[in-house]
Amino acid sequence: MTKVIAVTGKGGTGKTAITTLLIRYLTNKDNLVLAVDADPDTNLPETLGCNVEKTVGDIREYMLSERDNLPPDINKESILESKVYEVINEMPGYDLLVMGRPEGPGCYCYVNNLLRGIMERLVENYDIVILDTAAGLEHFSRKLIHDVDDLIVVTDGSRRGLQTAERIRDLVDELDTHVGNVYVVANKVNSSNREKLKELAIDLDLELIGTVPVDEEIANRDLVGTPLFDLPESSAALNEVNAIAKRLGL
Amino acid sequence: MKIYDLFKSDGEINMTEEFPFEISPMFEGERVRKDDMYVELAGPKSKGFELVRAVPPEESINPVEDGKFTLIGPDLSEMEEGERYPLAMIYRISGELVEPDIESIVERRNHDFQNYLQGVMHLNQRHDIWLRVSKEAVNKGLDSFEHIARATMMLFKSELPFIEDIEAIYITDMGEVEKELEDAVKVYDARDERTRDLHEEDVDVFYGCTLCQSFAPTNVCVITPDRVALCGAINWFDGRAAAKVDPEGPQFVIEKGETIDEFSGEYAGVNELAKSLSSGEYDRIKLHSFFEYPHTSCGCFEVVGFYIPEVDGIGWIDRDYSGNAPNGLPFSTMAGQTGGGKQVVGFLGVGVNYFRSPKFIQADGGWSRVVWMPKHLKDKVSESIPEEIADKIATEEDASDIQSLDAFLRDQNHPITERWAEESEEEAEITSQTKEEVESESMSMPQTGGFPSAGMIQPSQMQVPQSSGSGVKITLKNTKISIDRLVIKKKE
Repeated sequence: MTKVIAVTGKGGTGKTAITTLLIRYLTNKDNLVLAVDADPDTNLPETLGCNVEKTVGDIREYMLSERDNLPPDINKESILESKVYEVINEMPGYDLLVMGRPEGPGCYCYVNNLLRGIMERLVENYDIVILDTAAGLEHFSRKLIHDVDDLIVVTDGSRRGLQTAERIRDLVDELDTHVGNVYVVANKVNSSNREKLKELAIDLDLELIGTVPVDEEIANRDLVGTPLFDLPESSAALNEVNAIAKRLGL
Repeated sequence: MKIYDLFKSDGEINMTEEFPFEISPMFEGERVRKDDMYVELAGPKSKGFELVRAVPPEESINPVEDGKFTLIGPDLSEMEEGERYPLAMIYRISGELVEPDIESIVERRNHDFQNYLQGVMHLNQRHDIWLRVSKEAVNKGLDSFEHIARATMMLFKSELPFIEDIEAIYITDMGEVEKELEDAVKVYDARDERTRDLHEEDVDVFYGCTLCQSFAPTNVCVITPDRVALCGAINWFDGRAAAKVDPEGPQFVIEKGETIDEFSGEYAGVNELAKSLSSGEYDRIKLHSFFEYPHTSCGCFEVVGFYIPEVDGIGWIDRDYSGNAPNGLPFSTMAGQTGGGKQVVGFLGVGVNYFRSPKFIQADGGWSRVVWMPKHLKDKVSESIPEEIADKIATEEDASDIQSLDAFLRDQNHPITERWAEESEEEAEITSQTKEEVESESMSMPQTGGFPSAGMIQPSQMQVPQSSGSGVKITLKNTKISIDRLVIKKKE
């Protein structure tokens, strides 16, 4: 059975950094991982150190613009599947699929319906699927991924951040997607706000599964745009993410 | 070893002993990653194709030699690990019931069967095929294409018993693949020509689609060889493919039933389905009619057609056109009026490909009734517009409002003007201050042109874009009006 983990949170909270370090942990443990960047503001390839040329969004547009030029009896699902496989980045130990740009005007019902089936079959090839997804969770409302085992909401070290986490948890209840557990990870935490955050989480009835410390090395790399995948073992953030992964039973 | 040696006497397949891999539908969807692959064959970075040819049983010069396998080029064992090679797979089949028409259906199964083979990944079709063979499979003894070909041929014969004889020719030599590819493309082209020539009268079933029903609950989307789905995404063949895989899914079979009127596209089976899908709201649909029992419109349609009463013609506007039509309205406004799964007389949502249908609104005069469309849409479907009318259909470059449209049509002698002449026998003038049924500037009759014959539109159903005008003057000249029932209500 493939385990599906989704990491979400507002822009700037560091959810992509956390996702990257989780992928690193999982591949080091010899899991075959499918990483999905489902945030239209695509950052995951950069933090992983992958060079992505095309996205699922591009294929979707291709299918919309080309479909009338295709032979009438050609199997469109089969074309779409092949194109999805073409845009998968095959990295050592993991594959990366970037969803890319959001839908334009026009009707995406049919192509999304085909994509659902393709994703379902693709997901089964992996031990773990990990999604980096925007706070709006659109890909879930479109049911491209319909079951999530663990949803990790990343927040910054603020009260507002935790309130966002609360909202996302409530949003999950409205989705058709089946979500097993919702956890919160507070990122960029320092010694002065750690205890306060823990109390707040209890107040808001959120399961805080980790507090990732501010990490100078990550901040520096973010500034120049170098990958985070190869952070040194000594990184405090890396060690806390590894501990979170263990707590999640990964 | 002959191919029929693989079958036990009771017809069951005896495979585990014969092949170095397992064969099961459970391996469908199995992905061979780059790290795990022994070789990649054909695919986006190389060349290849798959082709099935029907050979008549009486063929004497080059008959099908059942079970024969021919390889041109290096075999798997001669290939270097991690490399990429071209691959063509040609199957020659023969049998009493084997006709050229079934080639594409048989060919499509190569994808299924090769995915049943553990360690073989097969993607796409025709000259876009893409295969990978896993290291693990090679380690277990898959050292020759002959294993793959024999397993595939065995599956062809057991799953499609009308195939009496089959042989396979695999090519891995680039020069040979390129040479044969040219012929294969000719075969594909000829097939496409035949499929484009398929019409409603040639088939027994249509397909329905309910993907839009979540927001257009009474929508009845009927997909025929002559009518693409309104969203433009699903044609008859797509419906057939989807319904075969999942008959309970969003695309399903509609038995055509009795043909009530072939010309306007009314079929008993479609009417019955309309009744059940729309929960009784609609019980008749004429697939190629604009004015009478038109197809319902979902909201996903690519193009909306709108009746322009002033010139008694039909205009079309598509989603990508951001300006206004000559009636002063943009796509979004008219789409809003039309959508929701209703039969809206005076408006009709269609997919772009419907313009290419030979039955395109033929019940209402087809292309000779079309008076306006955005230029980029007209260019897109220009090959399907009859030559004699092509220049007479206005675009935004020719007409931006009713007046300029009227002038253009006269100037070009559009066939619609002949209808005006026919209707100019009598004269009637009606002045109305009520704004109940007729409430838009787009409906105000100009001094020129005629109103359509009344039997054609049904005023009580006709929906007109709303505007906030306080009163409308309607002048009808040279008009015949026959009315079954007229209701004028005081505004409450």
